[in-house]
Amino acid sequence: MTRFYRTPLGLLLHPKTAFARVAESEPAPLHVFFLHIVRLALMPPTLAFVGAWNFGWRLGAAEPLYIETSQLVLVSVGYFIALLVGLTGTAAAARWMAPTYGASKAFGSHLALVAIVAVPLAVGSIAHLFPHVFLNLLVFIPALLWSLYLLYTGLPVALGVSPERGMLMASSLVAFLLVAAVTLLGVTVALWAAGIGPAIGV
Amino acid sequence: MAAASYYEDGIARFLTACAIVWALLGMAAGVYIAAELVWPTIDFGQPALSYGRLRNLHTNGVIFGFGVSALMGTAFYSVQRTCHVPLFAPKLAWFCAVGWQIGMLAGGISLLAGWNAGKEYAELEWPFDIAIALLWVCFGVVFFGTIAKRRIRPIYVSNWFYGGLIIVIAMLHIVNSLALPVTLSKSYSLFAGAQDAIVQWWYGHNAVGFLLTGGFLGMLYYFLPKHADRPIWSYRLSIVAFWAFTYSYIWAGPHHLHYNAIPEWVQSLGMVMSLVLLAPSWATMINGVMTVAGAWEKLKTDPALKFIVLALAFYGLATFEGPMMSIRSVNVVSHFTDWTVGHVHSGALGWNALITFGTFYFLVPRLVGGSLHSVRLANVHFWLALAGTMLYVLAMWGAGVSQGLLWLAMDDLGELSFSFRDIMASMAPYYALRLVAGVVFLSGAVLMAWNLYLTAKGRPTVKVSPP
Repeated sequence: MTRFYRTPLGLLLHPKTAFARVAESEPAPLHVFFLHIVRLALMPPTLAFVGAWNFGWRLGAAEPLYIETSQLVLVSVGYFIALLVGLTGTAAAARWMAPTYGASKAFGSHLALVAIVAVPLAVGSIAHLFPHVFLNLLVFIPALLWSLYLLYTGLPVALGVSPERGMLMASSLVAFLLVAAVTLLGVTVALWAAGIGPAIGV
Repeated sequence: MAAASYYEDGIARFLTACAIVWALLGMAAGVYIAAELVWPTIDFGQPALSYGRLRNLHTNGVIFGFGVSALMGTAFYSVQRTCHVPLFAPKLAWFCAVGWQIGMLAGGISLLAGWNAGKEYAELEWPFDIAIALLWVCFGVVFFGTIAKRRIRPIYVSNWFYGGLIIVIAMLHIVNSLALPVTLSKSYSLFAGAQDAIVQWWYGHNAVGFLLTGGFLGMLYYFLPKHADRPIWSYRLSIVAFWAFTYSYIWAGPHHLHYNAIPEWVQSLGMVMSLVLLAPSWATMINGVMTVAGAWEKLKTDPALKFIVLALAFYGLATFEGPMMSIRSVNVVSHFTDWTVGHVHSGALGWNALITFGTFYFLVPRLVGGSLHSVRLANVHFWLALAGTMLYVLAMWGAGVSQGLLWLAMDDLGELSFSFRDIMASMAPYYALRLVAGVVFLSGAVLMAWNLYLTAKGRPTVKVSPP
């Protein structure tokens, strides 16, 4: 069984070792998916469910916004699926870009790269336990910076390209991720307008 | 005729310097009003320091001061090189460049004095509108005059975009500014009611389209291949994208007026054409990304190429986010919130400012025949610009989506759950974060100004002859 890192802390301290392991092992895609991606994608929705159920969402106004349990389950399952699709989709986008930048074409390596890069964000989702939007933003900004650092330093190692081509490919992936993030935002808002999620007067 | 055989590059140097000064002034005004949203009393009771006046100085300073000076300077620089002839009517070009700076400076002062036509991004009053129209026509005469006397038959794609900028902005500005003057400092629009709104956003959105997008694409199409030292990945795609872009952009304005008192079919048309616009916008992004992809070795020696790579990423974000926000079921939540402000800045900081910074780091050393004073400072600037933009966008996403949700949240009786005042008061932490983002971005721009000043200091403009 391939483990790229033992604990999230170990990954934070020795990121390059984890990426070097990816490059050496060329892991099987299904293996990475079930061992890493599913586990990572489960964390934020579970924590968000517990947080929102206990404390309600605090968007800054006086009273927290409670969502009905049935709606909350629906939103959490949606969040889980969105993360699964997002993480796998990012790996697929990276695989699609690989020939352009002369990177490794093994899909398992791309999936493993994404799985490692996403770790700080998954750890940051502990903030979901207290769903205050600004608090979450404050926790996610450093987590995001750490993920970006992992992406830029790890991509050339994991996919076997020069640092310059790695920088370009990582930037293309950042563009993809920015678009994916804003898509998630747009879809969420459109779902609210369609009556799924919090009750809004539309 | 010896003098005429050199490119007129002094004007590009002058306009670059002016653009940098405007960038610092305009961005500093932006940082100040961001601080006012955190500490409202720092206007000290002075009307000229109030948010309502400084905000206009900020937008006009960065769009028309920084943006247009940079576009004019790079258009004059590149049109000569793509046509293999010196500038047509160089004295007129200098008149246009210097006149623009005087007009913008006086216009900025008039905004601080409270003169305001009441139209967003077209706040300057009628005397300035007339001056702008005249100067813009001069810009067009010089630019198209140079193209008319070109020694290369094909018109390179950057000139199509710069040409589109000149023609469409002239049309938009003149039509939208039609007004009845009452006094020197006050006029009233010739259009009334909903028609005024439609004309205003036909202007407003296409100013974004043909100035902030199309104009800067002209800059990209000339300077990216120069940076990369290789041709555009697909020249055919660039021309197809230009015509598709020009055709579809002009219809998109009504998406600023969703759920307002304009016909619903006009709103739907604006929404559909905004969605169509994604195709030509992204065609250009792919063209840019693929051109850089083949030039990765240049990253070792060219510190400015990184800015262009990142600018393309934010261009991709902004040109996707815009069409998405034009969908009515998204817009119903996002409209009037800080999400829109975040969207504008992902374009303005991430695309316009970064592509211009990348261009200036390339252009200034070549104009003065030296090398960049400090590559290290440019690298620091890159990370400050990236951090500032990301922080800004994240803060505004958080604030905007919260506002949209809270404004529309209803209780069991169908009453609005929260008061507007309480919601806005709770936004202070996001606004503080946005202030930090602005300071980070501005400090990067200050580093660039210092770096480029030392690069150019004491060096005359290099004289270059057409081949």
